[in-house]
Amino acid sequence: MSYLFFPGCSLDGTAKDFHRSTLAVAAKLGLELPELKDWICCGSTAAHGTDPLLADALPAKSLSAAGGNTVAVACSACYSRLKTANHHIAGDAALRARVAQVVGVDYDGGTPVLHLLEILCRDIGRARIAQTITRPLAGLRVACYYGCLLARPPEITNFDDAENPTLMDQLMETAGATAIGWPHKTECCGASFSITEASIVLELTNEILSMAKAAGADCIATACPLCQLNLDMRQRDVERRFGRRYNLPVFYFTQLLGLAMGCSSSELSLASLVVEPQGLLESKGIGR
Amino acid sequence: MIAATIEIGGVGGALASEVKARSGASPMSCLQCLKCSSGCPVASRADLKPHELVRMVQMDQREVVLASRFIWECTSCQTCITRCPQQVNIAAMNDALRVMSRAAGKVAPETTVPVFNDVFLSIVRNRGRVYELGLMASYKLRTGRLLEDADKAPMMFSKGKLPLLGPRVRGRDQRREMFRRAAEGGNK
Ligand code: SF4
Ligand code: SF4
Repeated sequence: MSYLFFPGCSLDGTAKDFHRSTLAVAAKLGLELPELKDWICCGSTAAHGTDPLLADALPAKSLSAAGGNTVAVACSACYSRLKTANHHIAGDAALRARVAQVVGVDYDGGTPVLHLLEILCRDIGRARIAQTITRPLAGLRVACYYGCLLARPPEITNFDDAENPTLMDQLMETAGATAIGWPHKTECCGASFSITEASIVLELTNEILSMAKAAGADCIATACPLCQLNLDMRQRDVERRFGRRYNLPVFYFTQLLGLAMGCSSSELSLASLVVEPQGLLESKGIGR
Repeated sequence: MIAATIEIGGVGGALASEVKARSGASPMSCLQCLKCSSGCPVASRADLKPHELVRMVQMDQREVVLASRFIWECTSCQTCITRCPQQVNIAAMNDALRVMSRAAGKVAPETTVPVFNDVFLSIVRNRGRVYELGLMASYKLRTGRLLEDADKAPMMFSKGKLPLLGPRVRGRDQRREMFRRAAEGGNK
């Protein structure tokens, strides 16, 4: 099976650990992820909050160059923007014509877009992944955090149950970890308000961290660069502001899966995590 | 499965019609059940909660709506539209209201989101992709918030999270044309 990879801007910057660990996991599975040539930014919230037409045109520009291949996405914010543009363009001929005017190419909204979680769980499958697990994450209690944009709105993303998605839980169980049940899987972390109004992010991430802790999690697994950054880099700020102590490492799910597949911490860029994970991993006998 | 929505047509003022034309959202279908505000992550801090905002749109309260802080605090999390029994797309409605608020010069003074959005999009236009260092630097210069999170940059450098050089994708002139045509509505 082959896909064209749309890494998104964050994976070349703050989320380079997500990028590296994605490629490390893909290599273990023999999954090829060549990059979609000359992809451009999905536009993110800045585009849809400023110019709705541009918000559909930017993804259309990248997706129209996929030549009928399936596009694989890691960042859930990019995933949401690409799928939303597809949904708009495929469902509205007048909009399709306007987008064609803007982009200079008539794009029909038909390039399939899949998140890595869908590719791993559905296309490759848990049975195949289980064969690559050499260091099961036994005893590690993981709170799988999906955030807003993978599962919502279900009419557009068609990802999983909108209120209780389980794809990441299934992968973590395959990796030998325990995916805990908790109610904040799809609560919002505040996303890009990290820069414009950090108090929103501090309040929301405090709710998420405190619920994960109360549910008995050792760590959190994420699938979005913004979620990861907000929960990890701002965790000390949250602890100071609310007088709590969480000390919850916040991994990308690919880092945990890679650990279970025997990848080294440098292949997975574990040193990029702000809340140090080494103590936890060693206590579970999965250090390096 | 979602139950069939109740069609409510033939009512609504100029504001509701404009919102619908711009975003496809149907504020006139709202039954004021409050499901949106119950699940909204920022409702507790909002000057107008989502169901109140929708009601204000129904009542044609253009001034109040366009000047509200809430339209800039909505995180676009899509919880409201996912749960609304009437499928009122408040997230899309807020996008339309943001555009209208800027055009009318009514943006709530507390928010810096429009500046952030402009800085972000100008990087996309010029380079094709965003890099965080350039984004943060331009945003801080434009807003004068130079000292906020001053501890973060050194830590991010040491963690390898802030490359100094941003990427560039070819085709800048073409992208500039794209942005210009989008601003004109895709008719040229
Ligand atoms: S959930 Fe929908 S119907 Fe209920 S108050 Fe909100 S917008 Fe109105
Ligand atoms: S999309 Fe906006 S209005 Fe709707 S629930 Fe999320 S933050 Fe609230």
